[in-house]
Amino acid sequence: MSANDLSVETLLRTHAPNAPESLRARVLALETAPVLRQSPSRRRLALVALPAACALAVAAALVNGALDSGDKGGVVAQPAPLQTGAPRTTELQKAPSAGGAGKAFASPGADSAAVGAAPSVRGSRLAHTDASLQIRVADSDALSAATTRATQIATALGGYSKSVDYRTPTGGGGEAYIELRVPAQNVKVAIARLASLGTVVSQTLSVTDLQDRFRTQSAQIAQLHRRIAALQAALHDPALPEAQKVLLRIRLAESKRALAQRTSARKGTVSSGTTARISLVIGTKKAIAPVGHRGAAGRMLHSAVGFLALEGMIALYALIVLSPLALAAGLIWLWRRRSLDRLLATS
Amino acid sequence: MAEQLDAVYRYLVYLTGDRAAAEDLAAETFEKAFRTWRRFDPRRGSPRTWLCKIARTVAIDWFRAETRRRRREETYTRDVPLTEEFGDDLPGALEDALRELSPAEREVVALRVLLELDGPSAARVLGISQTACSTRLSRALRRLEERMDDVRE
Repeated sequence: MSANDLSVETLLRTHAPNAPESLRARVLALETAPVLRQSPSRRRLALVALPAACALAVAAALVNGALDSGDKGGVVAQPAPLQTGAPRTTELQKAPSAGGAGKAFASPGADSAAVGAAPSVRGSRLAHTDASLQIRVADSDALSAATTRATQIATALGGYSKSVDYRTPTGGGGEAYIELRVPAQNVKVAIARLASLGTVVSQTLSVTDLQDRFRTQSAQIAQLHRRIAALQAALHDPALPEAQKVLLRIRLAESKRALAQRTSARKGTVSSGTTARISLVIGTKKAIAPVGHRGAAGRMLHSAVGFLALEGMIALYALIVLSPLALAAGLIWLWRRRSLDRLLATS
Repeated sequence: MAEQLDAVYRYLVYLTGDRAAAEDLAAETFEKAFRTWRRFDPRRGSPRTWLCKIARTVAIDWFRAETRRRRREETYTRDVPLTEEFGDDLPGALEDALRELSPAEREVVALRVLLELDGPSAARVLGISQTACSTRLSRALRRLEERMDDVRE
């Protein structure tokens, strides 16, 4: 049978090159050589690393949730970050106690305990207290009585009610929005007494340090006083030309006006520091629905979900940052593939 | 192993068109294979397919290095004919026809005809679709047949 009679495929198979003996010897030598221990493949690593990372993220979220949901008695204190020159603020939110939504502060002792945890700026520092209370009462009669009693409490403690907005719609229920001002030293007592008017649904207390502001304003006032005194002394100089005197009078008038402004502002600061503001909302059961209460597990879950969301955000951020690199890597891969095709297409 | 070595060597001879290079690359392929044998997954293909994939990677690196070297030396031209023989005592016309094929065409011929890999396996080695693999093979075989027919006439 001649070559012409055979098909191309048969010819190619028949005359296929065989590996030379030298190559066989080389490969045989390789086969007997010790094989180094291999690290796991990338696919296997990915298969392990990905679920491990997910499990770690969930575990971290659960641990965070468990730590965050520790026994805090429903009180969440969030101190604001301190900044140079900025007033210090501390806040306290009182959620309904574990005994059920809206546990009433029935006794004065309980009241003291309730407000005892309230944060305060230390010692004799000037601070502004801002409180808000939401109280639920049984019906319209109780609402009326509680509103009256709230204003009486403020008055009895040396304060006053700035505004009272009393609403009792025809459909039943009703609400009263009361803005109270009480002396700062009596704010805890006031809150305790106001809490006894009904069932406390929510309570917020924030204390803002005004000492820095007060100190700045005082320094400015002292400086203005010194300037005014100097200007007045200069004006009494008989040797001073009239034109100069006119200029000095203008500056004196400006300084006096600035002094009046600063003094007024400092009065406001002092007033703010010595008088606490209490925003009180009293409503009937119809008007104020009890706030949903989370148990320990619920709090933990809530916190864990929040933490997971944070982790997700971080992952998303990382993805956004890395995506251009991934795109570049993809383009390089594509370019290399194209160049390979060109290379192999070259005869 | 001898059978696999022959297969890899044949594939590399067809791909590179250079027996000496094919020998070196085959040795390198097996060195890599021995080093990474734990990664071999029989569910993903036969040992021959796996070896051919390694051989192809090795050969591509060689191709790239060769191209750079030729560029450096400025002696590279596409018209330089391959002087090596592809087969043992292969008819001259068929040798010439093989030389006229591109490396991409020769390697598909090697995989499908010499090594007798099936379509999916060959496509997996080449990193292309089965359709592209079949098209490339039929084009290469047609060119070889045409050349042989010319000689027969």
